[in-house]
Amino acid sequence: MILRVLLFVWIAAALVAGFLWAPTVEDLGETTRVLYFHIPSAWIAVLALAWSMLHSLLYLRTRRLEHDDQAAAAAELGILFCVGATVSGSLWARAQWGSYWNWDPRETSIFFVLLIYGAYLALRSAVEGDERRARLAAIYSAIAFVAVPFLMFVVPRIYATLHPSPILPQAGEKTGMDPRIRWSFLAMLVGFTGLFFWMMSLRVRVTRAERRRLETREAGA
Amino acid sequence: MPPNGSSSAAAVWAILRKECRSEWRTRYGLNAALLFAVATLTGVSFAVGRLPDRTDLLSALLWVVLLFASLASLAHAFVKEVEGHTMTLLRLVASPTAIALGKLLFNLIFLGVLELVTVPLFLILMGGPPPRWGAFLLVLGLGSLALAATTTLVGAVVSQTRGRGALFAAVSLPLLMVVLAAGVSGLRAQWDGNPIGADVRLLAAYAAAVLGASVLLYDHLWED
Repeated sequence: MILRVLLFVWIAAALVAGFLWAPTVEDLGETTRVLYFHIPSAWIAVLALAWSMLHSLLYLRTRRLEHDDQAAAAAELGILFCVGATVSGSLWARAQWGSYWNWDPRETSIFFVLLIYGAYLALRSAVEGDERRARLAAIYSAIAFVAVPFLMFVVPRIYATLHPSPILPQAGEKTGMDPRIRWSFLAMLVGFTGLFFWMMSLRVRVTRAERRRLETREAGA
Repeated sequence: MPPNGSSSAAAVWAILRKECRSEWRTRYGLNAALLFAVATLTGVSFAVGRLPDRTDLLSALLWVVLLFASLASLAHAFVKEVEGHTMTLLRLVASPTAIALGKLLFNLIFLGVLELVTVPLFLILMGGPPPRWGAFLLVLGLGSLALAATTTLVGAVVSQTRGRGALFAAVSLPLLMVVLAAGVSGLRAQWDGNPIGADVRLLAAYAAAVLGASVLLYDHLWED
């Protein structure tokens, strides 16, 4: 309970800091502020995919349905954040580049991630039986896990990017980013990560409660 | 054969022969796939006409035709077992890995036959410039290997779900994006006289990665 309140206060404070305390970047103007939503969402979309794939592999190894619950919950939330990142990025692209969609490498990669999430969830919805669903979804997830690094590698070879550089400086690179922007952004990143894990724990609990209810009903019938 | 089955080469060979024989008896899968490929090809040809100097479009359209035809047909190897209620029997006599490998080889041959008809027809109808055959066949071959490896695994998964056919294309597509991207770029490069090394390496690495992962995953395909 306390953690949940803390999380909301944290995100609210980071938002206020992002809008009132942090300045805007010269070339980007007010559109700078999209970074407080857009990048954390994209980060969660990738984190959720990795989390889901990790638990799929763990399921194949241990055959414990808890891992499948984690994988499914992460994928469901991942697609939510992925849509968030795509839409916020697209709106920003319209404001800054003049069109909603350009098949920029970042746009292409996030689109692939979205496709994989969609396919994974479509597959899950078409399988009957908890264990079979868990097994087949985990197999798909494992093979998608193999495909994703290739996508990340192949896409930039095909299209040139206009996307701003990664926000966190590479080793040895100096960024001109205002520390107030960086702190607000990092706070939002932490806030979003907390939000994701909190929402996921809720989703996993709901799945378990549903399963228990079904089991009691079947036992009673 | 022992009830646990064996993943030996003999079992794989037996599955492959069985697949070829049962396909040859009806030729239903191949006929459907060929008609589908020719229909797509005709549609494309009507829409854009002959494109002798647009190598970018030619390479993309050729892969689109091949992708459509394979997505319409490559799940067939597993779906027909489920629909004919023969999967259980098959699993009694061979290990999951042997079954999947046999079907993978069959899908490769199937794809080869499909391409043998579709590709020359495509080149003739679309009026493409003469390809550099070595490079052309290398890109096509590696792309087909990656395509068959991916669709065989996905086909086996999808055959155990509701709405098999419709799901197959949707679920395969995200995994085939790499093949499509590298295949298109490789075909275009060979037509334009550019080096194809990077695309060939990418296709080969992807095919190897998917094949390797598949061999590890085949054992989990059927358990209930």
